[in-house]
Amino acid sequence: MSSVTRTSISKRRTLGYIGLSALGACIGLLFLLPLWWTFVNSLRAGGDTFRFLDPLQWETFFTLTPSLDNYAALLSSDLGLATWNSIFVSTVTVIIGLAICSMAAFALAAIPFKGSGVVFIVVVVSFLIPFDAIAIPLADLFRDWNLQNTYTGLILPGLGNGMAIFLLRTFFLAIPQDLVEAGRLDGLGWWGIFRRIYLPLSVPSLIGAGLTLFLFQWQSYVWPLLNGTDAQHILGPIALSNLQGQFNVDYGVMFAGSIVLTVIPLAIIIGFQRYFIQSVTTTGLK
Amino acid sequence: MNFLGPEDAATFAPVIKAFEAKNPDITVKYSQVPFDQLNSTLQQRLGAKDDTIDVYTVDQPRLSQLAAQGFLEDLSSLKDQTEAAVPEAQYSVNLYQDKMWALPVWNSTQLLFFNKTALDAAGVTYPSADPSERRTWEQIATDAKAVQAAGTQYGLLLEQVEAYYQLQPLAESAGGGSGITGKDNLTVDVTNPGWEKAMKWYSDTFASGLSPRGVGGFQTSPLFSSGKVAYFVGGPWDVGAFSKADVNWGVAPMPYFEGGSKATPTGSWSWGINPASKNKAAAKKFLEFASLDTAGNLATTEATTIIPANSAATEQYLPKLEALGGDHAKGLAKLIANENTETAKARPVTVGYIQFEEIMGKAFADIRNGSPVDERLKQAAQQLTDAWKQL
Repeated sequence: MSSVTRTSISKRRTLGYIGLSALGACIGLLFLLPLWWTFVNSLRAGGDTFRFLDPLQWETFFTLTPSLDNYAALLSSDLGLATWNSIFVSTVTVIIGLAICSMAAFALAAIPFKGSGVVFIVVVVSFLIPFDAIAIPLADLFRDWNLQNTYTGLILPGLGNGMAIFLLRTFFLAIPQDLVEAGRLDGLGWWGIFRRIYLPLSVPSLIGAGLTLFLFQWQSYVWPLLNGTDAQHILGPIALSNLQGQFNVDYGVMFAGSIVLTVIPLAIIIGFQRYFIQSVTTTGLK
Repeated sequence: MNFLGPEDAATFAPVIKAFEAKNPDITVKYSQVPFDQLNSTLQQRLGAKDDTIDVYTVDQPRLSQLAAQGFLEDLSSLKDQTEAAVPEAQYSVNLYQDKMWALPVWNSTQLLFFNKTALDAAGVTYPSADPSERRTWEQIATDAKAVQAAGTQYGLLLEQVEAYYQLQPLAESAGGGSGITGKDNLTVDVTNPGWEKAMKWYSDTFASGLSPRGVGGFQTSPLFSSGKVAYFVGGPWDVGAFSKADVNWGVAPMPYFEGGSKATPTGSWSWGINPASKNKAAAKKFLEFASLDTAGNLATTEATTIIPANSAATEQYLPKLEALGGDHAKGLAKLIANENTETAKARPVTVGYIQFEEIMGKAFADIRNGSPVDERLKQAAQQLTDAWKQL
């Protein structure tokens, strides 16, 4: 009797598990659907984008005659140069930004000084204010400093990122003080402790913070417009938006551009996914 | 010299090349700003006296506001020349407080495109391209329903479904006027019987399924290209696009309401000079070339199918546009020339245009989605009155 009950319970559990997994997979697919639709339409001529949309049919989401014409058309647009510019600007931001943010986070987490709490509050508040809100006065300052239409002008606002400092500080706080004491006994100064103890232990959270910095620049749209970037300094999102003509939109080319600009951060995030999740899950653990 | 606008660089490459060939000591560098961000970007950069913009494109109905803000150089010394070179509506649209602030480069109109295959399937006769045989909206709606019944998905579609530019003629034709009156053009007038009639008719086209909801402005022409729409109201730029698509189309005058007046949209872009520019002399030369010089003005339309503002250029351009459309576009040159002088109704010149366009755009969107017309127009009028009080 009891074994029958147990079997029925375990059966029910298995069924529940399968049901939940199927539901999860369906929801996952729903999230993927718009991206997939964009991808399929990037393989179709622009005039055909809406042809199969209503009523929904199998051809809405599949095409038997894929063509790379839209991707070829991208080559003659600004998007190629813009993608390189975006990669350059984002990479420099990640490298310099990580150096700055990790040092700031270290100072806030490990070095006791008067007013560190206030500094930390300022940092937190800084990332709660949307960047767009300060972009206009900031652009005026940059113009006065002759940083308009320069790579420096594009990179600078992305370097000090409050969110990245917050993430790193929380992680640094979890590093046992005993290790710092041991380092001190071995004659390490603050720089040595930071360089030899904190950084090597914090690779996952550095990657998490790096992704935050990367995405800030990769999606940057308002700032390059305000900063008066010309065709040589153009960034990906602007070039993509420029593909939308005033009178006619070729959705095929536009979707191809979107796919290119999506695939790059997607590859980076998937590549670092493991570390990113680790950095979030271990934040605050003691 | 720096030139800023919302178009693809290829659009202005021919005029820049022609200008530089004529003026070897001046080089023009063009930067593109996405259309949706053009106004906000200009506001910010011109407001900060950014001297890296010399010449920029001016959306004609926004000219008075830009001039009032001090963002445009006074070009009144070119008044007489401009008046002689362009149609009256294209001259006066550049005036604000009796001074001229920009030179007109492009003009526009709207046409009724129809899908011949779809009309044939329903046995509906083609509308004629002759302006004297202009059809009424009532006729078109009846025919469109018949075509829809014969299997075409949508009967009628306006290219910029929620834009004042395209909907103004509906109200004008129904006797409602532009929606703005008063001495300074700062009194709202969108609740009169003409406006209500036009908007009720427009609302019905969506309620009855003649036009699709949920398709935004400028997402519309691909629907016509793919053969899903019987009648499509669009601009001359569509001639270029449709001639590349495999839909069998024809063109006719934009309809009017039975018993009402005939009205079509007009106006497009002018170019102006930034008062903070350090290259004003060169900038002025460039403007004169692009607007007042026939060959220069024609060069601005080489890469995009749009009507040049200069009258002499228009005369040379229209037959070319008709030829581009081939058999589909028979009678197009005569039709556009007629609309330019006979039916064109410019958007009102007012410093309150930006708010007007924005608030009415939202009202059009709601009306299209089923908001009660009277109430929604009253609400828009109230919002506008409040917004204009602060000017």
